[in-house]
Amino acid sequence: MNAQTILTAMLPEHLLLVGILLLLVLEMASRREREFLGVTVLVLFAAAFAAARLAVADYAGVPFPGQFSVDPAAALGKAVLLALSIPAVLVARGEFGGTRFAILLLSSLYGACLMLSSDSFLTLFLGIELMSMPVYALVLLAMARPESLEGALKYLILGGAGTATLLLGISFVFGATGSFALPAFAEALDSADPIAQAGVVLITVAFFLKAAVVPFHAWAPDAYEGATVPVTAYMATVVKSAVLLAAVRLFDGAELPEGNAALLAALPLASMVWGNLTAMRQAGFRRMIAYSSIAHAGYLFFAFLGPAAGRFEAVLFYVVAYGLMNLLAFVSLPAAGRDADRDRLDNLKGLFRRSPYAAILIGAAMLSLAGIPPFPGFVAKFLIFRNVIEAGYTGWAVAGLLGSYLGIYFYLRVIQFMFMSPGAEGAAEEPPRLAAFAASLCCLLPVVLLTLFPGWVIDRL
Amino acid sequence: MSEPAMLNLVLFLPVLGMVMLLLVPRDAHGTVRGLALAVMLLQLALTVVLYQAFDPQVAGLQFETRLPWIADWGVYYHIGLDGLNVLLVLLTAFLGPLVVAGAFSAIDKDVKLFYAMVFLIQFAMLGTFVAQDLFLFYVFWETMLIPMFLIIGIWGGERRIYATLKFVLYTAFGSILMLAAVIYLVLSLQATSGITSFAFTDLYGSRLPLDIQVLLLGAFALSFAIKVPVVPFHTWLPDAHVEAPTAGSVILAGVLLKMGTYGFIKLGFPLFPDAARALTPAVMVLAVVSIVYGACLALVQDDIKKIIAYSSISHLGYVMLGLASFELIGIQGAIIQMVSHGLTAGGLFLMVGMIYERCHTRDLAAYGGLARILPVYSVFFMILTLAAIGLPTTSGFTGEFLVLLGAFDAAWPQYANGAATWPLVLACTAVLGVVLGALYMLRLAQKFLFGESRAPHAPLTDLNLREKLILVAIVAAVFVLGLFPDSFMQKTELAAREYQQQVLVEPESRWVRAAPDGGSP
Repeated sequence: MNAQTILTAMLPEHLLLVGILLLLVLEMASRREREFLGVTVLVLFAAAFAAARLAVADYAGVPFPGQFSVDPAAALGKAVLLALSIPAVLVARGEFGGTRFAILLLSSLYGACLMLSSDSFLTLFLGIELMSMPVYALVLLAMARPESLEGALKYLILGGAGTATLLLGISFVFGATGSFALPAFAEALDSADPIAQAGVVLITVAFFLKAAVVPFHAWAPDAYEGATVPVTAYMATVVKSAVLLAAVRLFDGAELPEGNAALLAALPLASMVWGNLTAMRQAGFRRMIAYSSIAHAGYLFFAFLGPAAGRFEAVLFYVVAYGLMNLLAFVSLPAAGRDADRDRLDNLKGLFRRSPYAAILIGAAMLSLAGIPPFPGFVAKFLIFRNVIEAGYTGWAVAGLLGSYLGIYFYLRVIQFMFMSPGAEGAAEEPPRLAAFAASLCCLLPVVLLTLFPGWVIDRL
Repeated sequence: MSEPAMLNLVLFLPVLGMVMLLLVPRDAHGTVRGLALAVMLLQLALTVVLYQAFDPQVAGLQFETRLPWIADWGVYYHIGLDGLNVLLVLLTAFLGPLVVAGAFSAIDKDVKLFYAMVFLIQFAMLGTFVAQDLFLFYVFWETMLIPMFLIIGIWGGERRIYATLKFVLYTAFGSILMLAAVIYLVLSLQATSGITSFAFTDLYGSRLPLDIQVLLLGAFALSFAIKVPVVPFHTWLPDAHVEAPTAGSVILAGVLLKMGTYGFIKLGFPLFPDAARALTPAVMVLAVVSIVYGACLALVQDDIKKIIAYSSISHLGYVMLGLASFELIGIQGAIIQMVSHGLTAGGLFLMVGMIYERCHTRDLAAYGGLARILPVYSVFFMILTLAAIGLPTTSGFTGEFLVLLGAFDAAWPQYANGAATWPLVLACTAVLGVVLGALYMLRLAQKFLFGESRAPHAPLTDLNLREKLILVAIVAAVFVLGLFPDSFMQKTELAAREYQQQVLVEPESRWVRAAPDGGSP
């Protein structure tokens, strides 16, 4: 451990801290939301750039041995998470006022970064909590509506239960292996000791809960609905991605033992089926996306059935494609007088006539989430299911693909509303803000790259 | 310009057209239509040049382009023309301008989006035909869904939402299983030979165990059979056709349905030859059932579009029969029949659209004696009707006749040496379909064109110049294909032979062994 390593390896984290301090100072000098958000975007950009730079330079450093280390994969994951949160910030203007949103968001991202670099259960736990706590508050920030109180409380309580489960699991694994280091999990996965097995199950359940996998998903629809658009976008993309990438780190090189596939596949499969079926019946956009994200959590955990070597690549690509498309849909959502109106799917009816580009962007996002080519969602899904079949779980893969088929309908329903239904009377459209335009551009450029040249990206993973 | 570059240009012209459409103001309908027609005509011209340059003496791919796309997975942007797709590419390019021009007066809502979607589907269809890489093929195959979903759903009739969702959900179900089969197949190749490749040529002739081959072929075949459609997977078709706008019906009947049969001949059967041979009886039975069942249903419909829709099921049954006969003449007949059906059904749908624009009903009972009110229209309608029946000198005759010859060629030796009687029975039943075809088409023509003169809207104006030009082009093509099939069949002969070899002969070079890591599907 030396100062130089701590400075370099943790540069993205340091930049986030600097951003938080800067915002605190700035709040005393100014009251203009635009400046706060501008600073936040700059900080996120700088941090993402620093992380990407570390990844490109193949940097590996261990600032705190046994607790925190940086390797290119972790740096790349951080870069993705930080970059994905930029569009969410760009559309946050006028939603909150003040610096609360920005500071909470940056703190939460700090936790996410910590998770991706953790080497021990302690750091991992710290990261998860640091990431989740600000989000409880973020959901609550939309206090204007009673639903947000309900959503935040539900999220808090279930999140707390998840934390308890995780701690219990960790202590079991510690009891069985005598180690707090992350590789102890892989060891426990292989061991026949019932204590170790229980620990593995509990830790997996905690991750399922954080990623909203059926039957631990009940918080997601309420929390997503209760929060405002930028926060929902952040939860659906960055938080979920961070949990999954942390799970990849947790499983590390461990192959699944033969009998345990069902443990990791059954609930995600149920998640796909239940999420996709329930999403069909939703009337609100955010609730629908919540159920869609429950289904996507299922696909993502399927990646763990695949060979260990391809896991990170599959999850990262999926997370990027899924996150970008979700964000694209969120930032293109037409503005409306009241937040509750904005959320109604009916509000999307006839959108193509009112603002064609928003409709086309949301449509593309829906098709991509449905996994229909040529959009990146297809390549991402292909990658995951290829890995599953490669590992010999053909039956699970077919079941998973059929589960994903169930989702096609409700994504198409959104397109049907936008293109094929007559519009609501007198729905005057606000011209999109510059920031929202910038946000959609932020998502669109990488989407085009991923659509036309997926190979270029995959070769570099 | 070199020919491979030209093929790429033909493929990407519609995309270029979409980009150009973006620059046109939304309300400049005239400009949008003119631009769309110009791009399609240019595409047709280039395709004709390519067709002329296509050398029938060369086996395998011509005008090939192969560039790495997802190099890590062995996915290539690999396109080219061969004897199997060259006629279908020509057909697609030929119908393009007709679809565009046919929609000039019918589509007046969201015109820009409409032509953008026509371009998109044109791109996807051509891409599906020319793709020589399974991944690329799948991407194009699925991309076709999106524009068709919108074309039916936005510009369709009253029950358009129901029809378009049914269409998409049916086809997507087939494709999802095909995706699993694609992955499994490619991984098996990787496990046995160490090659990671999606190229058709690498994947052909797997020596996987028969039961796995049957499962994989089943997954591919389900997807293709839904698209064709083969009875009993046909129920989406009448709804889609009836609700689709004219342009949508023409694209559906003209090209989209051929995707299914093309899939069988290009992928399904040659990829899994042992399973193909084992399943031939089932395929032939389904083909004949489609022929007869489709014809019977067409016989009792009152909606003109439905009659033509069901006749499509019947006509594509012949294509399936020809493909499954594995006789050279039957295969070539099937390809001719695909093109011929694209022309006649496409033309008939265009004509139904023309009368619908004038009278706003497709109910057969509302019409009668149009021959006296609309003489020019009636002449064209009669010609296309006869072509659909398969009157000699028209394209329909060439296709059906060759397919039936193929079916008998395959059946007779088996009957003569006492091996099996059923192929002969099937072939004879298929001939019955020709009679039924004459019955339902003549019933349509008789009620529609002859008898007491009656039409919902009087007075009716006969065809205008634009409509005449469209129909002249189609009728001319019908006769060219009917009178001079030779030049077209030359272009397909080598490829048809190759297909026959792939399925029937067992080459030594076939790749070996089974599943990746012993997993079972």
